[in-house]
Amino acid sequence: MSRRTLVFVACSPHPRSGVSTTARLLTDFYLSRLTEVEGFDTDPHAPRYHEWFPDRTRVIDTADIRGQISLFDRLLVDDGVPKIVDVWQRAYDRFFRTVKEIGFVEEAHLRGVEPILLFHVDPTDSSLASAQSLSAAWRDVSMVVVQNEGAAPLGAYAHETLAHYPSTRKFVVGPLDGAVAKALDEPDLSLSRLLVSPPPEMSIVIRAALKAWIAPIFTQFRSFELRQELDGAKFLK
Amino acid sequence: MAQRPTKDSKQSSAREERPPIVREKAPPLAPPRGRPTLILVGADKGGVGKTTIARVLLDYLAANNVLTRAFDTETPRGTLYRFHPDQTSVVDLTSTSDQMKIIDTLATAEIKVSVVDVRAGGLEPALQALQDTGFLEAVAEGEVGFILFHVLGSSIASLDEIAEVAPYVEDADYFLVKNHVNDTTFFEWDPVTHRKYFEKVETAGEITIPKLNELSYEQVEIAGAPFSTFVANRTAEGEPADHSFVLRGYVRTWQNRIADEFDRIHLLDRIAGREGA
Repeated sequence: MSRRTLVFVACSPHPRSGVSTTARLLTDFYLSRLTEVEGFDTDPHAPRYHEWFPDRTRVIDTADIRGQISLFDRLLVDDGVPKIVDVWQRAYDRFFRTVKEIGFVEEAHLRGVEPILLFHVDPTDSSLASAQSLSAAWRDVSMVVVQNEGAAPLGAYAHETLAHYPSTRKFVVGPLDGAVAKALDEPDLSLSRLLVSPPPEMSIVIRAALKAWIAPIFTQFRSFELRQELDGAKFLK
Repeated sequence: MAQRPTKDSKQSSAREERPPIVREKAPPLAPPRGRPTLILVGADKGGVGKTTIARVLLDYLAANNVLTRAFDTETPRGTLYRFHPDQTSVVDLTSTSDQMKIIDTLATAEIKVSVVDVRAGGLEPALQALQDTGFLEAVAEGEVGFILFHVLGSSIASLDEIAEVAPYVEDADYFLVKNHVNDTTFFEWDPVTHRKYFEKVETAGEITIPKLNELSYEQVEIAGAPFSTFVANRTAEGEPADHSFVLRGYVRTWQNRIADEFDRIHLLDRIAGREGA
């Protein structure tokens, strides 16, 4: 079985589509399984993702070439450590322009690194156009559409909307009640620790609601991971 | 038809004192690859990126399997020589013996393509020397190919060079090179000035050299290796290096864009003397 280093790129061209939440969930998913993980937050002004994992993430300014070196040179290291990039919506265009200009995807494949786009959908037409544009630019890159039902609800016709996106793989992040969402925003709250030893001061109701919210998301991540391993299994080809 | 500059009496007497230059006459219908070609990269203004363009040109020709020898006129120590020592000789174009070293061997050398990186302020004297030695006549007769890349700066003085150079290059493939390495503009924002310099002179075309970011450029400088060696992540000595992939990626893309420009002007066809170039 060929094991490849996964690089998740959580992105959306629009704000408030749940990109940082996905980056956080995925990081906590790996931590909950005692797996090393490394993150990169491309928002140098309000690095929310970095605040949740100050020891495991770095803030990167993609407008600066030194920042690009810190990011892309690290992403290309095939060390088996999954890496997660939270692409700030204002860095979106520059990020993918750089990816194209330096030939990142081609080099990643040569080095045994597999980039995976986590494209966060929203109801706008430009969201769909952006996803199609990415897919056309990098046909050999896996794309997963992420539907965050709380941050960017697609409404009653979600299935039809998603059907137009250039990917059959999707993650669904369910909506949260206001009080639970507020608890989730606490910078000290670790979702991976919550599953094994929830903070004693936390309301039992909120604790249960968060666990119920996290469980199906982690199941999707695990399912995706297994699928990737199956796809990489040489004896099945 | 513009007149080539007439030589004053002092120049004429200087010419008479020079030893006669023996040029081997190339067969008129020699196979295309056999025709010697001289490529001059120059400008009278300094700091416009002449050597950078000569370096990228040597990389391009090597990538296309064109054997090339190079001459660096920045005596005594040349920048081009620093990056391409194996194929570069440092010469003084004002010296007769060095002129012979380049011109007399054009046809006899096994390597038929010669690139000369002309130092700042040396372009017009170099062209004058080419005229004095009869090289331009050989070009007119089709015995040798002559390509001039005239690298422009963004000053009026630099643009004035175009008129000064034009009379020497009637039979050459004369290209104006707009080098954007330093975020330069070429008066595109001033149509009157732009027209005055760029639309009245007859050239084979223009080449645009895109900007390479400073950090990438600096790292190649520090590496002291050809651009293609840096991109291949090798040291100047050919050992594996540890250059940033991001910087190598930027240099590779930049090289590819310049290669597209050379392809666009059919540079390889011109060098080979193929019709229709």
